[in-house]
Amino acid sequence: MLDLIDALQSVADGVLFGATYALLGIGFTLIFGVMHKINLSYAAASIGAAYASLLLLAGVKAPPVLVFLMAAACGGVIGALVYFVAFRFIPLANPLATLMSTVGLLLLIDEIVVHATAGVPLNYPALFSDVVIRAGAFNLRGDLMFVFALGCVAMVLLWALLYRTRLGIATRAVSQQPVAAQLCGISIDGVNILTFVITGVLGGLAGAMTGAAIGVLSPLLSLPLTVKGLIVTVIGGLGSIPGAIVAGLLVGGIENVVQFFRGVSERDLYVMMLLFAFLVFRPGGLFAPAAGRD
Amino acid sequence: MDFYLGLVQIIGVHTLLGLSAYCVLLTGQVSLAQAGFFAVGAYVAGMLTVLGGWPLIPALAVASLAAGIVACAVGFPALRVKGLMLVVATTAFGEAVRLFFFNFTYQLERGELRIGPHGGEGFRQIRYFPENGWSTLDVMLFIWVVVIAVMAALWWMDRSRIGAVLRAVGEDELAAQSSGINVTAVKVSAMTIGGLIAGLGGGLFAHYTTHIEHVQFGVVLATFAVAYPILGGLSNVFGTLIAVIFIQGFLIEGLRFMGDWRNLLFGGLIVLAMIVRPRGLIDAGTLVALKRLLRRGERAGA
Repeated sequence: MLDLIDALQSVADGVLFGATYALLGIGFTLIFGVMHKINLSYAAASIGAAYASLLLLAGVKAPPVLVFLMAAACGGVIGALVYFVAFRFIPLANPLATLMSTVGLLLLIDEIVVHATAGVPLNYPALFSDVVIRAGAFNLRGDLMFVFALGCVAMVLLWALLYRTRLGIATRAVSQQPVAAQLCGISIDGVNILTFVITGVLGGLAGAMTGAAIGVLSPLLSLPLTVKGLIVTVIGGLGSIPGAIVAGLLVGGIENVVQFFRGVSERDLYVMMLLFAFLVFRPGGLFAPAAGRD
Repeated sequence: MDFYLGLVQIIGVHTLLGLSAYCVLLTGQVSLAQAGFFAVGAYVAGMLTVLGGWPLIPALAVASLAAGIVACAVGFPALRVKGLMLVVATTAFGEAVRLFFFNFTYQLERGELRIGPHGGEGFRQIRYFPENGWSTLDVMLFIWVVVIAVMAALWWMDRSRIGAVLRAVGEDELAAQSSGINVTAVKVSAMTIGGLIAGLGGGLFAHYTTHIEHVQFGVVLATFAVAYPILGGLSNVFGTLIAVIFIQGFLIEGLRFMGDWRNLLFGGLIVLAMIVRPRGLIDAGTLVALKRLLRRGERAGA
C-alpha cells in the first residue's frame, strides 16, 4: 500500500516537472512548424538564458520573480541572436547546413556558459520551496507546483498569442503556406524572427523552471534537455502544440515512476523505449495531423 | 613523436566513423545512431579478444558484422520516418545503446583479476596491442590500411550503379521511387553499410585506447560523426577525411595553444564554416574548379 502511494507520488512530481519538457517541446515544434528546420541549440540557449538572468542580476539582490522574468527576456534576445547567427545567412534549401550550424551554436553556448562561470554549477532561486501542500496521503511540493503553474500560464499566453492576435495569424499562415503568406504581404523574415523570440522567451522560462525545480544550473543540463525536448516533440506529433504539452507531462511522469521502480541509471533507457514504441506503432505522434506520406 | 602517431590514429578511426555517417547521408538521412554502432563494435571486438582470446582480425570482422546486423535491425523501424523524426529516433537509439552498456556487466575470473565490461566503470583490460608487441607505429599503419581499404571500397561504390542509386534517393525520393527504386531497401542497405564501417571503427578504437566506457559513446560522438561528412561535403569520400583533419587536427589539437578559448572557437568556427560553405568544404563547385585547373596544367605542359 505504501508502495502504491509512493509510486503515485513520484508520478505527480514527475508530471509537475514535465511542464519544463512541455515548454521545450513547444519551442522545437513551433520552430519546426514555421521554418521546417531543427534548431538543436534550443535547449542550450534556454539554459544559457537562465544563466544570463543569474549573472545579470548577480549584483542586486533581486527577488526570484524578477530573475524568472529576466530569464524570459534574455531568452527572447538569445532567440533572435540564434536566428541571425545560425539561420539568416544560410540557404534554407539546404537542411543539413542549418542542422550543423545549430550544433555548432549548441557547443558555442555551452562553452560560453562554462567560460563565464568557470564550469561551477550555480544555485538557482526557487519560489515557495518551503511550502508543502498535503492532499490526503500525498505531498505536493510548493516549488514544483509553482513551476507547473508558471508553465501553464506561459502556454495559455502562447495560445492567446497564436490564435487571438494578428501576429499569431501571420505566424500560422507562414507555417501553412509560406509562398501564399508572402503574397498576402506578410514578411517571412519578420515572422521568423518573431518565432525565434517567442520560442526563446518560452525557452528562457523553461531554463529558469529547470533551475528552480532542480535547485542548480549546470552546463551539463543542456544535452539531456535537448534529447528530452526532441523526444517530447516527436511523441506529441511534429507541429502540434497540444501534443507537445501532453507528451511533456507524460514523459515527466513516466521517467519519474521508472526512476522510482528501477533506479536512476535505467531511467532514460525506458524513455527511449517509449519513444521507439511510438515510432513503430504511431509514427505521427499522439496528435498527428491527418496527412499523406509526407 | 608518439603524440603525432596517436593523433594520426585518432584521425583514422574518426574517418571511419565519419564515413559510416557519409553512407547514410548519401540517401538524404541524418542518423545520430552511428555512435551506437561504434559502441557495439567496440564492446564486441574488445570482449572477443580479451574474454574469448581471439586474434584481432577475426574479432574486428565479427564486431563489424554485429554492428551491421544491429544497424539493419534498427533501420527497418527507424527508416519508416524521416527528417527530424529520424534524427530523434536515431538519437534515442544511440542513447539506448549507451545506457545499455552503462548497465551491462559481464566479467570472468582470470587468476585473481576479474576482467570484462563492468557497468559504469567501463571495460578496462583491452591490452591486445601491448601484449602482442605492436608498437604505436604498427598500430597506426594497421588502422590506416583499414581506413584506406574502406575509402577505396566507398570510392568504387560511389562510381558504380550503387552510388548512383543512393544519391538518387538522397536527391529526390519521389522521383527515385517513380523510376522503380525500392527506397526503403536502399535506405536500410545504406544504414547497414554504415553500421559495418562504424563497427570496424569501434573495434579499432577499443584496441588502441585499451579502456572503453559508456560516456565515450554519447550524443557528442554521434554529432561529430555526422558533422564530418556535412562539414566536408558529400561530393566524395575525401570531404569527410578533410573535415576530420580540420576538426581533430586543427580545431582540437592545432588550437591547443589558445587554452580555454579553443573550446569557444570550436563551436564558432563550425557555425562560420557552414555560413561560408553551406554545401561543405569540398562541394561540387570545388571539384569542377579543380578539374579545370588540372586540364589547364596539362595543356600548358603539352
